Amino acid sequence: MSEDSKAPHTTSVARLLWILLALLALLALSAGSALVKLGVWNNVINLGVSVSKTVLVMAVFMHETEARNLTRLASVLGFVWLTMLIGLSLFDFVTRSHVPAPW
Amino acid sequence: MSAVAESVPARGETVSVEEQYDDAVQQREAATLGMWVFLATEILFFGVLFASYTICRVLYPLGFAEASRHTDMLLGTAETAVLLISSSLIALAVRAIKLDERRPAVILMCATALLGASFLVMHGFEYHDEYQEHLIPGIDFQQTGPHVRAVELFFCLYYFITGFHSVHVFIGVCVIGTLAVRVARGTFGPQRYTTLELAALYWHLVDIVWIFVYPVIYLVGRSG
Repeated sequence: MSEDSKAPHTTSVARLLWILLALLALLALSAGSALVKLGVWNNVINLGVSVSKTVLVMAVFMHETEARNLTRLASVLGFVWLTMLIGLSLFDFVTRSHVPAPW
Repeated sequence: MSAVAESVPARGETVSVEEQYDDAVQQREAATLGMWVFLATEILFFGVLFASYTICRVLYPLGFAEASRHTDMLLGTAETAVLLISSSLIALAVRAIKLDERRPAVILMCATALLGASFLVMHGFEYHDEYQEHLIPGIDFQQTGPHVRAVELFFCLYYFITGFHSVHVFIGVCVIGTLAVRVARGTFGPQRYTTLELAALYWHLVDIVWIFVYPVIYLVGRSG
């Protein structure tokens, strides 16, 4: 119980506000870039911005930088399964060729 | 957690440790780990919808671009900003309660719940506009053009994704509102804030889901 009496770890207000500013700037970037014709890069920028925002939220707001390794592992696993789900499903649909019935 | 909640005295000055834990820190870490496992199931819950969306978009890129242009980008951007701000406010509220600043914590939590409620109201306006434009598959869908089936598919996914997300926002607003009342009554404090921290984790995840919803629903085909 000795650690119970310790003051809990806190993130500074300035850091939290800087992260909010960064998130809003990234939002402006994705909204602005969507209006410019960049071809496939529109999708790349959108996905990149979403991943960056997620990393910021998880690292600072969700305290992942201070979390134990086991907690970090649990937090990443959901995204790993999701990537496999989307990746494998997409692989199937993209590579499936149309085979007409022989009769 | 509820057993812990019932057995502690008011003002959140101490926390009782259940017998299976060595200390309060281990108890808190176990609760956080459990919450993350729950959040992983939530990620996969929405993940199935995102997987369907990805496959359909690969199969019907032009139809999805046309459908996305029917959505309200300005309102979608405002909703995203509202959720991002609310996420930072709940992070500030957790910080405040850790520092035993009860009054700022209550104000920040109420502001978070209000922003969540405003998100739902904005979404209601969106649904209303789409109803006026006859964009609700199965109820009132009157569109024409070469990609009409793909547009219908997009809006099916749109209502499933945003509908389930709104249900999560509503739950989050109720949970944070209830916890704000309990913080005001002095249930939580610097030694007892796990419930609040877990609710904040849930709210951040709701935010993260929307971070991915925003570009795939509102930003497709805008430059064309």
